[in-house]
Amino acid sequence: MSEAPVLHVERVEREYPGTPPIRALAGVDLAIEAGEMLAVVGPSGSGKSTLLNIMGTLDRPTAGRVMIEGVDTSTLSDRRLSGLRSARLGFVFQSFHLMEAVSALDNVATGLLYRGTSGRSRRAKATEALEKVGLGDRLSARPTKLSGGQRQRVAIARAIVAEPALVLADEPTGNLDTATGDGILELLHDLNRQGATIVVITHDSALASRMPRTVEIRDGLIQSDQLQVAVTA
Amino acid sequence: MTTSWKSKLRLRDLIGTSLISLRSRRGRTALTALGIAIGIASMVAVVGISASSRAALLTELDAFGTNLLQVQASSVGMTQEPLPIDAQPMLNRLADVSSASAVTTTGFEVHRTTHDASVVGITAVAVDPDLFETMKMSLVAGRWFDDGTRSLPVAVLGDVAAERIGITDLRGGPTVTIAGRQFVVVGLLDELPLHPDLARNVMIGDEAAVALLATKPNPSAIYLRVDLEGIDRTRPLLAATANPDLPTRVEVSRPSDLIEARAQVDQSLQRLLLALGGVALLVGGVGIANVMVISVLERRGEIGLRRALGATRGHIRSQFVLEAGVLSGLGGLLGVALGALITAIYARRQEWVVELPPLALIGGVAAALAIGMIAGLYPAAKAARLDPALAVSGGTG
Repeated sequence: MSEAPVLHVERVEREYPGTPPIRALAGVDLAIEAGEMLAVVGPSGSGKSTLLNIMGTLDRPTAGRVMIEGVDTSTLSDRRLSGLRSARLGFVFQSFHLMEAVSALDNVATGLLYRGTSGRSRRAKATEALEKVGLGDRLSARPTKLSGGQRQRVAIARAIVAEPALVLADEPTGNLDTATGDGILELLHDLNRQGATIVVITHDSALASRMPRTVEIRDGLIQSDQLQVAVTA
Repeated sequence: MTTSWKSKLRLRDLIGTSLISLRSRRGRTALTALGIAIGIASMVAVVGISASSRAALLTELDAFGTNLLQVQASSVGMTQEPLPIDAQPMLNRLADVSSASAVTTTGFEVHRTTHDASVVGITAVAVDPDLFETMKMSLVAGRWFDDGTRSLPVAVLGDVAAERIGITDLRGGPTVTIAGRQFVVVGLLDELPLHPDLARNVMIGDEAAVALLATKPNPSAIYLRVDLEGIDRTRPLLAATANPDLPTRVEVSRPSDLIEARAQVDQSLQRLLLALGGVALLVGGVGIANVMVISVLERRGEIGLRRALGATRGHIRSQFVLEAGVLSGLGGLLGVALGALITAIYARRQEWVVELPPLALIGGVAAALAIGMIAGLYPAAKAARLDPALAVSGGTG
């Protein structure tokens, strides 16, 4: 592994065209080291979703740089940027984004689809990932047959199946009740303890306070960046 | 490190991906494919039916031969100047003529009985017994004239005439009345596709016509079988041979030309129907484009997810083009099957041999595929251009 941080956001700005233009990010600096787990917290409209999209290379900054493992992503072609996402980034969405027509196993295997690996090895790795999130017994279940918490576990398995350098989770508990949400957070903590680097985007400051590191964002700027002393997951 | 950052999608996985989404929307897939299927089916049916019809015409031509020529007295106003009495032996003397048989109109209508006037428009003609051979006729019942019966009051009915008069078999010895005289029906002819006029006639022996009806023995038409190789050489000689004094009053025709003309007429109708099929296909293509555009809007979430999972714009585009291709390919297969079925049913009804040109079948599927992929290009480009960040947040779970 390189010495560079997993992710380094440097003076990133993002403006959406309009009259007047909307400034979602006004110069954000953020470095994330391997093995970290942190929350980016802020109210809606604070720019946290824009930051997530830019960290995930789904959106490009108007100014500034996004370095992933030391590589400046602004210089990459669509094919390499897509390749970077498939190899080094994992996404977890609030609304799960599962394909209802296929099984949990095939949903997770989609996480390796654009790596060009064979179907057999995709399914083998997907099985492992589902076992890791505690769904080893629901491999062939369709998402419609799963509870909300189980669906989010499938989505998390899909995000980690390619063993990415960074997992980006956007309001992962937003569609779940408190108990189920706690279970998902516990799972993320477990995965972090096993070495995964995880960023959770949330508007929920109670949730954020349970993370080892909390980055507060407001009006497109970082307000605070704190390490928690005692973490009780 | 960066060298491994290349997104790759195996071809079989691309195909699998396209199939998944079609499988998960079965009803829509079936209906969209049906649009293409209708277009393809109509085109295949048009080609198949006209090919079968041509095959049937060719069979007819083979059966009756293309070496038959007809020499006829041409009409001047309402009256017909009959051919000279010796026209038939003169024509028979030509080197390439293998047989020449005369038909003479008697000018009499045929009725069921003396006082029955319900049947009109069926006339009696006097024929030479050779006509049967020359015309390659066949009977459905009874027998034809021979040297013994050509002078007797007996009649043989063409198939149209028999139907009009209402005689379907020879049981009970049916008779017809010609100029107040009864003629016993001894034979019923099979269809005469090359000679619809003759099929409407009641035939009596040439000697009987002269003796019993006082018919003038001048033939009104003479049918000739000519050696096929000599046909072009012989044809120009016929008018002058038949009527040396008034060759311009003689019409020479080749009945098989009629069949060929019929095939020509079929061809222009075929073109029109093909064009209509093409329009249906185009509408089917627009239908696919339409459904795919809607699909792209509905599947923004999936598209965003796939981009997040590492799909390039090219992968998304290929997936949607392929989906459109599979959709229309399915429609094409269904259409070809349907078109073949329609052809088979229609041809059977017409008692034709079923003829399906393989090119039409392969072409049908290929055309469907091409239309579908072209129709898929625009929606696929739209899908590929979607902003992944917006697509991910706009999707539903």
